[in-house]
Amino acid sequence: MAAAGVLALAVIPLLASREVVDLLVFTALYSIAGIGVTFLLGQCGIISLAENVFYGIGAYATAYVTTALGWHWLVALVIGMAIGGAVATILAWPVLRLSGHFLALATLALATIGHVLFLEWDWITGGTLGIGGVAQISFFGCVLNTPQRFYYLAWIVVGIVFWLYSNLLDSRAGCAMRAMRDRPDAAMVLGIDIHQLKVKVFVLSAMVGSLAGSLFASYVTFVSVDSFGIERAVSFLLIAVVGGAQTIIGTIFGAAFVTLAPNLLSRLGDVHPLLFALALVLTVIFLPQGIGGFLQQQIRRLFELSRLGGDA
Amino acid sequence: MTATLFIQSLLAGITNGFVYGLIGLGISVIYRGTRVVNAMQGDFSLVAGIVLYLCSEHLGYPILPSFLAGVLAGAVVGWTVEIFFVRPTRRRGGNEESFLLVTLGGAFAASAAALLFFGRDSRPIRGLGGDNLLDVFDATIRVHAVWLIALSIAVVVALRLFYTRATIGKAIMAASIDPDGATIIGINVPMMRTLTFVLGGAVGGIAGVLISPLITVNYEMGLLLTLKGFTAAIIGTLGNPFGAVAGGLMLGIVEALAIVFVSSGYKDVISMTFLILIMIAVPNGIFARRGRAGG
Repeated sequence: MAAAGVLALAVIPLLASREVVDLLVFTALYSIAGIGVTFLLGQCGIISLAENVFYGIGAYATAYVTTALGWHWLVALVIGMAIGGAVATILAWPVLRLSGHFLALATLALATIGHVLFLEWDWITGGTLGIGGVAQISFFGCVLNTPQRFYYLAWIVVGIVFWLYSNLLDSRAGCAMRAMRDRPDAAMVLGIDIHQLKVKVFVLSAMVGSLAGSLFASYVTFVSVDSFGIERAVSFLLIAVVGGAQTIIGTIFGAAFVTLAPNLLSRLGDVHPLLFALALVLTVIFLPQGIGGFLQQQIRRLFELSRLGGDA
Repeated sequence: MTATLFIQSLLAGITNGFVYGLIGLGISVIYRGTRVVNAMQGDFSLVAGIVLYLCSEHLGYPILPSFLAGVLAGAVVGWTVEIFFVRPTRRRGGNEESFLLVTLGGAFAASAAALLFFGRDSRPIRGLGGDNLLDVFDATIRVHAVWLIALSIAVVVALRLFYTRATIGKAIMAASIDPDGATIIGINVPMMRTLTFVLGGAVGGIAGVLISPLITVNYEMGLLLTLKGFTAAIIGTLGNPFGAVAGGLMLGIVEALAIVFVSSGYKDVISMTFLILIMIAVPNGIFARRGRAGG
């Protein structure tokens, strides 16, 4: 089934319109940033609304380094991830002492602060005017300047990031995280440094967030402060919730929901934001495990049915 | 820096502080009664503000009935949210996060509905005492702002009496602290939770009709109000109505000082940093009883 999914993803850009491919590129970018938030929520129980800050750091790093300094896009991307990781470390160390609602609110506060600073530090971010002419990504002379070309890069990066994350989930550290989420006291007794582990996962999510931001800047070649507001942070969290925080693959469904649903609904006219909000409410009420969790449940049930059928 | 300017910004800070406090008050009421963090408290006020606008500016009703209509609208929205959003989530075993997210979705829905039916424009509304100003040491404050401060204090006192004296207030507290125990002694727990949302909605409505004349009604205003109100409620210990207003006042004054001494652009940076520091340093807020989380 996974192979069929990958094949479908590979063929789509050959068949679909430019507009659809563009949406799917955004689905990929949001999946990359979303996986960080999903993992934090699903494995560590941390609600992070600050992902827009790191998405912004990546995007502005790429924009500034490739335009003002004229360096290579790959260098810019690495610088962005390094800054994102460093900022996350400094912020997470004190902030992750908090938990529950307080932590959610603290990250929302960080998101607000980040948005204001992106606006006010206009000598580096261009403020409301933004930065244009960001370098596009190229490999050996092949410039990724159309949605079709960028599509493959974006989804390959999604594949790599998801592979790394699923390895992490199966590793000793992943086990420790689940212990920490479900039985924090027991985890502490077993000698797991909860705080340090949380900080590491947060830093990792910040780095994939800025990776997504860098790719975003190279793809649209223009960044402005509007792309990194609170709404963006909320939509990253929605990806985790709608997709299902406890599954990794669910993130893709969540990202698809966040990018495709507003687009499809916008054909119905001005009523579309209302429908989107109601769809969100219904998902939270009726699919508490998200789309990913729901599918996982259905597949498991199917397997059980077929096994029962075989026994009889 | 003249003294007048300083007093002027301090007055603005105090007024804003009561605005945040009023929103925080509603968040505290709902948290106290149901342990739900309501992310659409600001949107109760948005709805109330819109109803006030329709009644007083559009239909030309006198100001008092219009205010009452706004408060009633807030209560109705609170009831609707409990019945259609919160109750089904609880029935399906929702956790803390689900409640936060479901009300966040409600906040988007309210804002989107306001955009659809009310449009993008900000609408100015007449306040109590019109646009008249009062002089305070050469600085000025709107008469409406004075009303806002007085009525906020009245609401806090009324809530205090409600929770300590009224049977139904005590029942709400019992249902929140020990749902099973409350059921055994014959308290209708689901009803108390619904009533809590009606009460929170009404407080949100009062906040809405008092705030709207000061800041003009706009479909986007809900989420930022919620955030500031939540900050106020947390600084003053979540669940403590008096604390919410005190926390709001602190937040408003910090913001005012930030505008005077730093720059208005960094107002939110400073107030949010203040919030994070307060949460880390005094996690249960400044009015916490020792050894107990929340109200």
